[in-house]
Amino acid sequence: MDYVGSRFPDCGPPGPPGRELTSAKVVVAGGFGVGKSTFIRSIVESDLLTMTALPPERAGLVTELVRIQFGRVWLDPGLALHLFVAPQWQDPRAGWNDVVRGAVGAVVLFDVMRPADSVDAMRYFEDHRIPYVLALNNVHASIRSDVKAIIRGMGIDATVPVVNCDPRVRPSVRETLIALTEHAKLDRWRRRPGPDETTPLAPVC
Amino acid sequence: MSSAAEAHRRRRRVETPAEQTFADLMNGFTLDSGRRRARTTSEVPAREATPVVALEPAPPVFEPSVVDAHDASIVRAYAWTGGRTRSNINLEIETLVSANDQSRQSAGMLQAEHQHVVELCRSPRSVAEVAALMRLPLGVVKVLLGDMAERGLVDVHQTASAGGDTPDLGLMERVLSGLRRL
Repeated sequence: MDYVGSRFPDCGPPGPPGRELTSAKVVVAGGFGVGKSTFIRSIVESDLLTMTALPPERAGLVTELVRIQFGRVWLDPGLALHLFVAPQWQDPRAGWNDVVRGAVGAVVLFDVMRPADSVDAMRYFEDHRIPYVLALNNVHASIRSDVKAIIRGMGIDATVPVVNCDPRVRPSVRETLIALTEHAKLDRWRRRPGPDETTPLAPVC
Repeated sequence: MSSAAEAHRRRRRVETPAEQTFADLMNGFTLDSGRRRARTTSEVPAREATPVVALEPAPPVFEPSVVDAHDASIVRAYAWTGGRTRSNINLEIETLVSANDQSRQSAGMLQAEHQHVVELCRSPRSVAEVAALMRLPLGVVKVLLGDMAERGLVDVHQTASAGGDTPDLGLMERVLSGLRRL
């Protein structure tokens, strides 16, 4: 078949075979056209792949397939980091569980001109206690105070880091991911959640 | 003009599965014999039913409809899994799988789709990658890989968050130092 071979060359772990392997994932969410794919492409330095999934069946109906873009990068010889674009959906809460379950955390790309676009994503992550960072597509060096006021006015947890990020620039994306992971680590310590405190994430497919 | 109308009608037909139940979709594909169709003509007008039968074997000549090809492959894929939509093995979308020695040795004797998975997984791939590269829905790939894992054809490398919803701190440390090295 044509999908085996030249078009998708082997890009296995850099370490020797037989090494113990594991993987982690991060979810990238935000409004339409805010730069989610660009963000991932910057860090994995290759084209993204697209997988399809059937959304949960509602009332016995098979609805259209959902396409989920993602990229992968090996962080060390045994660890693959996956970055998934949170699918755009009419009802985002219905289809994100498979993508989000077990994630280190999420990056919500936040267009300062269209703050409302990111509200659904933020609410979802807060409801499910998924650690996330807000990455503003702000070209200015510092975050303006009026933008800060808008963000805080949206009722976001004060501990959520707010960073500037240019999705086209690799170091900027890398810093955002580092900020997320550090926040997730702290969050883990702070919360120490019991398993039944969070809303269970039922599998989609 | 008639061909344009025909194309439009075909496009409309391939969209209709959205309104059918999954069982209808499956039955429509697997039991698509002329005899059965003749019996059900009371529900579907004959003029509507004929182009579907004629369409299936014909390769798309112009502007191949992605949705069309996809629908067919999805139904075929669910037929491979025997209609099952869940796997016994816990596979997350980022879980890595790799072909092992047993599968490499018996590659020639495997059924076609298993063989494709073995070829793809010569270097470790995640469930999501297998789904994307084989162009199959995630649910189908999970069942396929679950079967293969049970038969010992692929090794499953569990994620550090397996069994819980949050990755452990050790993994987060590794992610952090990995990101800093990038």
